[in-house]
Amino acid sequence: MSPPLAAILSLSQLMVESNAGTMFELVKELHDGAEELKRHTTNPISLNAGCELFIAFVTLFPHESDSFAELKTELVKQGQKYAKEAISYRNKIAELMLDFIKDDSVILTHSYSRVVMRALLHAHKTKRISVYVTEARPRGLGVKTHEVLTAVGIPCTVVLDSAVAYVMDKVDFVLVGSEAVVESGGLINAVGSNQMAIIAKAAHKPFYALAESYKFHRLFPLSQYDLPTHNPSILSFPSLPPRPFVTPPTTSGVSPPIAKSGIDESLNVTPTSSSERSMSAEMTAKNPDVDYTRPDLISLVFSDVGILTPEAISQYLVAMFAG
Amino acid sequence: MAPAPSLPIHPPNGPVNGDASKQPPQGRSSQKSMTKAERRELQEKQRAAKAAAKAGGPVNGAPSKQAAKPTPQATAAATPKRPTKSNEAPAPTASALRTQTAARARAASVSVPTPANARGLRIFSHFGLPKPVSVAKGDIHPTILRLALQFSEFKITDYATPPNNTLSRHLMTYLSPQISHLVAARPMSVTMGNAIRQLKLEISGSDIDLPEQDAKDALCQKIDNYIRDRIIIADQVIEETAGNKIKDGDVILTYARSSVVQKVLLGAHAEGRQFSVIVVDSRPMLEGKRLLSVLASAGIQCTYILLPALGAIITEVTLVLVGAHSIHSNGAVYSRAGTALVAMMAKLHSVPVVVCCETYKYSETVQLDSFTKNELAPQGDLFSSFPSVKARDSLTLENDEHLEILNPLYDLTPPNCITAVVTEVGVIPPNSIGSIPVALGRLL
Repeated sequence: MSPPLAAILSLSQLMVESNAGTMFELVKELHDGAEELKRHTTNPISLNAGCELFIAFVTLFPHESDSFAELKTELVKQGQKYAKEAISYRNKIAELMLDFIKDDSVILTHSYSRVVMRALLHAHKTKRISVYVTEARPRGLGVKTHEVLTAVGIPCTVVLDSAVAYVMDKVDFVLVGSEAVVESGGLINAVGSNQMAIIAKAAHKPFYALAESYKFHRLFPLSQYDLPTHNPSILSFPSLPPRPFVTPPTTSGVSPPIAKSGIDESLNVTPTSSSERSMSAEMTAKNPDVDYTRPDLISLVFSDVGILTPEAISQYLVAMFAG
Repeated sequence: MAPAPSLPIHPPNGPVNGDASKQPPQGRSSQKSMTKAERRELQEKQRAAKAAAKAGGPVNGAPSKQAAKPTPQATAAATPKRPTKSNEAPAPTASALRTQTAARARAASVSVPTPANARGLRIFSHFGLPKPVSVAKGDIHPTILRLALQFSEFKITDYATPPNNTLSRHLMTYLSPQISHLVAARPMSVTMGNAIRQLKLEISGSDIDLPEQDAKDALCQKIDNYIRDRIIIADQVIEETAGNKIKDGDVILTYARSSVVQKVLLGAHAEGRQFSVIVVDSRPMLEGKRLLSVLASAGIQCTYILLPALGAIITEVTLVLVGAHSIHSNGAVYSRAGTALVAMMAKLHSVPVVVCCETYKYSETVQLDSFTKNELAPQGDLFSSFPSVKARDSLTLENDEHLEILNPLYDLTPPNCITAVVTEVGVIPPNSIGSIPVALGRLL
């Protein structure tokens, strides 16, 4: 169950237990509940989308019943019904995607996404596909994708994040999931998606995003750094102690050899240390989890409400949320 | 445009000797009352436009990109002829008058350069003419000829339905010649068209059975509501939405002077956000000077440069905020000449460009270039009392036998250079501007 759906269910539950007597109070309680939910997660974007969708739904619901209690029960019922229906959205999307996957397609995907999995497994039933998936550091979820696909018999290879450009010419199209699709028509997804989209554009390959409609968000980031997940510590430079001024040596220098021998020594001393290095946790913390892909880099967004161009996303959002 | 402080204002009885430039005290006093009167000014502008009062300019002046500057000749010519009639020009009216006359003064014809200038001058002198001979049905109300801003309210309340006629039908025909007279003076702008269309819709929808006074009151109420919702409240919503995009440490670039952008910046500053502003300006209007003075006196850190220097500072900029004269359904933004350059430069340097625009400026038409429809800046001395290094005379360009001055007022920014358009119905990407009527349909 994805965060937005979980949010919708929990907010419905909140309504059941609420004592609000008027619509105003109820909406206020829902807002407080949403705030509480957001506080407990590091990446609140998709959660936000679900909360706002539900609150907008509650506010715009036509009031036919006279008593407020009746209205509340109706709303709760609608909320739960929605959550149940929403489970089927991934299947709808997989079905829509099917026509775009030809036999012997080579697909590139990023990290692990449930909706992409659903689409690939569905396509595998009737077509031959092979998949490249990026490792998606630091969490390495690409490896999970590899396990799942190999288990059902889809040929799959894990590709280094830095080898996306290398592999792009072998690929027919790129398929990614989403954390959120935003008002501009852009995509918020695990970091690396933007890179993939830019390379796909340069190589003239289609870039498709799969997103359930409860991930559509009224956010409008103007740039990468305008995301709510961006904070000053990301990509910040450490404050180093000032370098002591060393008088330059007259000969070829005494310092460098010492440093080098130091490294050699450590290599010799620990033969079991691998030739690979990894980032420390501190270094990883300075890196973002999600990035923003501009709408002009995205070819199509597949959603349960249909196959939309990025421009149509805004029209859908306006139609849903306006008034 | 109009440099603010020393706009010649004509006192109610008209300038004594037609030399409008000797009005600084008047100008200054109405300048002080400007903030209070600014709203009134906007209202009056809208009303005038709607009732097809003579002043075509004010509606376009609403975005304040067309802050007025009356050309001395036009106003001087007109006012002496009707000193008594201009008696209801209190300070707000004066400022509105100023905007109007300026805008009207700037009513040159469209694109073609050489004949346009000549035609422009002829239109000027046209303002001094008494009421036109060709009158379709009923007289052109004498007030329409006045340079003083005639509020549509005044006109509608002034108007009396002839017997055996319904208000809605007759008023419509009564207004048509007024509107065409206006359009003759200045090409119909998007905002004016929208307002007039809305007014006509309201008139035709008015109940036949209502007594006349009630019907007129209802119409006036509708006009007031239009002004309040589509202009004043819209500005407040835009101020808040766009203000949320401003973060501490931002370096915001703006071009010329947009009243909406000014409100956004002042609002964000009042909320305590720390940012600095670069005001980019260009001749001949130099409207940015006025914005600069307002922002600086509010305590915002400002830098002022001219347009050619844009390339040097663009790397420092984090956000570009501009206003618009109108936006079109293909996402193009029609704005003060020079805005397109700023947007294109910003795009190259990956700086987001945000356009602040109310929905009443939306046009269903498609605009592909800035030649087919444009206006020319007026001739003559446009400078403020800001100290300048050179003598004003040397900076003023005039046509002579070997020199034609061409100063188009507007240009078109293509949609791919714009990141977002902030309206009162939401933040919309430029390619989806077509969803504005949908959003509005829900609200109205």
